[in-house]
Amino acid sequence: MRVIIFSWEYPPRIVGRLAENISTLSIQLAKQGVDTYVVTYHDFLTGVTTEPSGVNTIRVTNPVRTHIGVLTWVLTLNQEVERAAANIYYQAKKHIDAIDVYDWHFVPAAVTLKNALATPFVFSVESLEDHRSPGENSPYNMAIKSIEWLGFYEAARVSAKSEWMRDEIVRVYKVPREKITVVSPNTDSRVQDVLELYADVAGGT
Amino acid sequence: MKNELSVMMLSWEFPPRVIGGISPHVYFLSKSLSHNGVKVYVVTCDFPGAPAHEVLDGVEVYRVDSYKNPSPDFATWVYLMNLNMQKEAAALAASLSNKVDVFHAHDWLVATAGIGLKHVFRKPLLVTMHSTEIGRRDGLHTDTEKMISETEAWLTYEAWKVICCSWYMVSHVRWAFGLPEDKLVMVPNGVNTQVYDNIPSEDLRELRSRFAAPHERLVLFVGRLVYEKGVHILVNAVPKILEKVDAKFVIVGSGYMKEQLQNIVRSMRLEHKVLFAGFVDDATLLRLQKVADVSVVPSLFEPFGIVALEAMAARSPVVVSDTGGLAEIVEHDVTGVKVYPNNTDSLAWGITRILTDEGFRRYIVENAYRKVQEKYDWEKIAQQTKRIYESVLGEYSKSFWA
Repeated sequence: MRVIIFSWEYPPRIVGRLAENISTLSIQLAKQGVDTYVVTYHDFLTGVTTEPSGVNTIRVTNPVRTHIGVLTWVLTLNQEVERAAANIYYQAKKHIDAIDVYDWHFVPAAVTLKNALATPFVFSVESLEDHRSPGENSPYNMAIKSIEWLGFYEAARVSAKSEWMRDEIVRVYKVPREKITVVSPNTDSRVQDVLELYADVAGGT
Repeated sequence: MKNELSVMMLSWEFPPRVIGGISPHVYFLSKSLSHNGVKVYVVTCDFPGAPAHEVLDGVEVYRVDSYKNPSPDFATWVYLMNLNMQKEAAALAASLSNKVDVFHAHDWLVATAGIGLKHVFRKPLLVTMHSTEIGRRDGLHTDTEKMISETEAWLTYEAWKVICCSWYMVSHVRWAFGLPEDKLVMVPNGVNTQVYDNIPSEDLRELRSRFAAPHERLVLFVGRLVYEKGVHILVNAVPKILEKVDAKFVIVGSGYMKEQLQNIVRSMRLEHKVLFAGFVDDATLLRLQKVADVSVVPSLFEPFGIVALEAMAARSPVVVSDTGGLAEIVEHDVTGVKVYPNNTDSLAWGITRILTDEGFRRYIVENAYRKVQEKYDWEKIAQQTKRIYESVLGEYSKSFWA
């Protein structure tokens, strides 16, 4: 099985808990024999690395250096994520079983790759804009929400960290409950749960 | 069918959505390419009343959701719109089972969509740079302007070839983004002479009387009322011209300088001689260009100057400032009159010269009309563009992406 994880944070770039979370998961996946790639952002440590664990990381940076907000920064960075993922796809004889995208930042790239190359993706929700900026409905917040919505709509499956988050996704975005799988990062069965999810997605449901 | 060359055009405007010059450019280029055996798919922004998909003169047009939620600002909207455009274009290109040979983007407004499509499909990307942010703003003063300029630089970096519509733009784009010389190609903009030839003359008398009295010569300006178009130079030249000839100055277009210009006119007490017509419909514009005794293009920055070509096609004599693309379109004293840019006296002299010498006027008009048909014909431009696609595909076929 060949999987690409998209995350906007990954060691050594640690913003919140996501970096550590993905680092652990990717090592576990590699141990299970999954051909694991992580596409992530770093301002200057760019390029391809194979870590001792066997995980392949590709770090991209933004070709546009001046920005007026997080949105323009994210929306230009996505093209580099697409480029990195497409390189993996073509070098791997055009076969990727699943892309696992964490939070909204790289949803645009996952959506384009799905439409262009038929690579299905899982949208893994770490947090929602509705929780990060409660009650905020400015054009800026709405744009982020519309990207989250696009992720829910286009994803083959959604993964949530808890029953509570699943309920929230259903409440805020009206996503069908059965589209969402709860995968707790703190249990021993986590990597098995994730693998099942990927297998489900790769089967083309 | 397999050997038919196929291109996907990306443009943020396409008729009936018309904001500036890119819309007619992409329309005529696509139509003429299609006429020359190229399969063209246009992916563009939606427009009220226009269908999501139609076949127009052989061109497949797809209009995508242009992101209609409120946006924080224009530049952010552009990138949000590109997200939708890229998604829809990706689905379309995939449904055509990879029959798209090249992607062709027009300006930074579709930069991110074009760059992403290039990489996911591994097909060559071409770009036509119609203008640049550093040229439009005469420098880069804000973060938004810098961001747009860097996006333009990135787009030209990712492009296999960069097409510019004048030699002036070739050198400007090369300077602005530090591009190698062999990456740039010049293909002029075209103009459709038929739309002017097909207007019946009875129509024109009635139309002229709506704008000028019979004893007044009609001086026409068409363009956005912004600094770079130099319309203020024309307004300041009005009293000098009126000393020699009785004329009416018709100013078509709208922009942030409108009120300022109207104030200048009022302070000169010449409201009866200068008419601000605002934005006019296509039919009126074509007829105005046809009845104009002289068409003036006093731009300070002009990558190409399509409005001068249109006047030449409409058989209206042109006075242009000797700058940018205009300097290449017009040959002084042969196909028009060139004047010093940003110079009121020079502009007044040029306009007066045409209005006071009927023989000269007729000579200029005939030469200009012939020149337009020779050099700025869309069929010829489409053939040039097709040859560029073919040469790019020839190089591509030897690359490891093929």
